Order: sequence, then structure tokens, then C-alpha cells
Amino acid sequence: MDYAKLSLADALAQQYAAGTLRGRARRRYEALLPGHPALRESLRQWQARLMPLTVALAPEAPPLRVWQAIERRLWPAAAAAPQAWWQRLALWRGVSALASIATLGLALLLLLPGPAQPPVVVVLQATGGAAQGVNSFVASVSADGRALVTRPLLPVNLAADRVLELWSVPPQGAPRSLGLIAAEGVTVIDRKRLPASLLKGGTAALAVSVEPPGGSTTGAPSGPVVYAGKLQL
Amino acid sequence: MNPASALPDWPERSRELATLLSRTALGDRAAFAQLYDRTSGHLFAVLLRVQRDRAQAEDLLQEVYVNVWRAAGGFDAARSQPLTWLTSIARNRAIDSLRRAQSQPQLQSTTREANHDDDAPDAIERAADEAPGPLELLDRACDARQLTHCMDGLSATQRQSVALAFFDGLSHAEVAEHLHQPLGTVKSWLRRALQALKQCLDRAAARDMAASGS
Repeated sequence: MDYAKLSLADALAQQYAAGTLRGRARRRYEALLPGHPALRESLRQWQARLMPLTVALAPEAPPLRVWQAIERRLWPAAAAAPQAWWQRLALWRGVSALASIATLGLALLLLLPGPAQPPVVVVLQATGGAAQGVNSFVASVSADGRALVTRPLLPVNLAADRVLELWSVPPQGAPRSLGLIAAEGVTVIDRKRLPASLLKGGTAALAVSVEPPGGSTTGAPSGPVVYAGKLQL
Repeated sequence: MNPASALPDWPERSRELATLLSRTALGDRAAFAQLYDRTSGHLFAVLLRVQRDRAQAEDLLQEVYVNVWRAAGGFDAARSQPLTWLTSIARNRAIDSLRRAQSQPQLQSTTREANHDDDAPDAIERAADEAPGPLELLDRACDARQLTHCMDGLSATQRQSVALAFFDGLSHAEVAEHLHQPLGTVKSWLRRALQALKQCLDRAAARDMAASGS
């Protein structure tokens, strides 16, 4: 053995990286690594020398189940059945933080003339981030809950064969359609469509989805929800 | 088979991985998913080469990425190539799985010790099952890494020992059996061969770091 020329650390690192250090010697070496920077450094060097040789191997795509198993192990909760969009708490948290500030501001403005029964104003923020721009919808509900008017701050750019649909989202359960709304200017929602409990806790939030002409045929939003805002009384 | 010149460059493949790894260390799941997309094909190939049982190799791949998610903070981009770091983790797992398999002699005897016939070396059997032999892989790697002249100083048996140990994960004893040489001889061949390659491999590693730094 001509270990005289070769430091023991270098020899061990060489064998470990090449894969020939086995059994108890391998386990002893691994146990020593965390406490010995010089061993780690010599190993790092041998790995940098040898690992790139694996470039010669043709990649082999693993089956999808491997990634699924990784997700299940790392995030057991998230890998469960996907939640419906209106149940995603984070969305509402984010939306309500912005909306509550805006609501307060608008409510104060509306209060200035001093009407006894100010309407409830909901600001529906864009849910898609930068792609959607900074536009938002304002929905105003009369104090008696019997009239609802919407208006976008700026006209919404929509594909010619798409319409916007307004939804009432209850605290529990599926959303309910309040009808189609215009992408530009004011829409007065048909009084008959408004739930009696709109301002009595029956509606937690309002949302706008993109739908085919005539609106969703499924009774639930079928296209992306592009604006949403929490109703705060 | 791909010509060696078509193999993508190691630092080129590593380049964007450093960012993905550092974002993974911060708990960015999207970055981790992207990292998996970019690297799992390579790591699976690395695992399969050493651990030929596909089901076991899949389990190992899963362990490797769970480990990567948890240990990503320990990766030092200033000192290592991301793909080198990831490949090391995969290879260690694969070799450890062979160690475990040694306590299961029935598996061992079918995969590693079936070859007692002088005229039927594993290299031939393996060529028959379509996977390139270890020597072919070593040649290909040397071409891709511009290391061809580095091998000039090595004898054919030295080259073969390196290829069998590194690519197929054979132990000293297995290489000795394979080449019908005494264990001590094979150990010193391997040590001297790798030592002889050291400077050449270092130059390639330095090229990698320079290329990824630019």
C-alpha cells in the first residue's frame, strides 16, 4: 500500500465517491463526515471530479407515481382532494385585506352626505395578479338588501365570446348565480335574483367569473374567477 | 445511441439549477417541482444503473427528493455544481441500497454472482440487454468531458476497473471476481487509476465552476 503519497482522507474520499468503500468502513466514514471539515472538503473534490462522468447516462423519465409519492410524503394535507376555489381561505384573506381598506374609504365617502341608511359597498379585486392589471369591480348593495349595482373601475377586456357572471358566495356551500353583469358601466341586478339573506349573513363574498355567452350552464362558475371581494357589514 | 458530442454540457445543465435549489431551500414548492422536472430523469438513470430493480430505484428516487427538499439549504453554490450535489446524493442512496441487498443473498446471487464462466463476462451480458456497457459509458463520458487524453496513461484493465466500480457500483471484491484478479491487485489498480486521473478531472471540474460562474 503506497498510502505514504496519498493522505488517508483523500484515499477514503476517492473510494467513497467512486462507490467502492462499503460496509462498516463506509458507515464509519459517513459518521465522521459531519465533525471533520477536512474529510468533507476532500470528498467534495472527489465528487466534483467523478459525478460529471454520469453525463454519459441517457436520462430515464421516472413514472408519475414517484412525484405523487414525494408530494404525499412532504405535504400530506395538500395532496388530499383539491378544494373548490371558493373554499380557499388564502384567497379570501388576501382579498379581504385590500377590500376592507377600500370598503372603509368608499363607505366614508358615501356617508358624507349623511344618509341614514348607507349602502354596503364591496370591492371585488382582481384575483389573477399582474396579468389582469389593477382593475376592480365595485358592487353596491342597498341597505335593505333589495338592490345590487355593479360597476368596473375600468372597462374589462374580454374575448368577444365571453361574458361576466356575478356570484353570491355563502359562508358554507356552493356559490349562487346573481346573473350576468356588464364588462363596462353599471349593471343593476334583477331584484328577484337577490337572496333574501344577502345582508343577513347569507352571503360571505361576491365573485365574478368568466363564462360562455348566456352564463354558466352548470349552476356553478365554469370559467376562471377573475374578481372577488368579501362582504363586510 | 447518442454521439458523445451531443451530450449536454454539465455546467450548462447545472446553470439554472442553482437558483431552483436556493428557492427550494426557502420552501418554494413550485421551484422544487421545476427542479424535479429538470433533474429526475438524470437521477433516475443514475439510480437504475447501480440499483437495477426498478421498483427499488423508484423508492430510492423518492427518498432522494425528500432528502433534497429537506437539505437544500446545505447546498453551497459557490463550491459545488448543483448537478454534482444531486448526483452524489442519488449515488450514495443507490450504493447504500446494495449494502442492504447484501443481507438478502437470494437477490445478490442472481444479479452479481451468476457469472462464473470465463468466457461470459458481464460486459457481454449487459451489452445484450441493450444498456451500454460500463466501458462504453466511460469512453462516452471522457469524450463529453474532454478527458480522452487523460485515459491514455491507463491500461485497459485499469480503465475497466474504474468503469465497473463507478458506473455499475461494483465493490472491490466484485471487480476482482469479475476480472479474475486478486483483491489487493484490483484495489491498487483502482486507486492508482483514479489518482492518475485526478489532475485531468480537476481541470474539467475547474472548467465547470468557471462556466457556471460566468
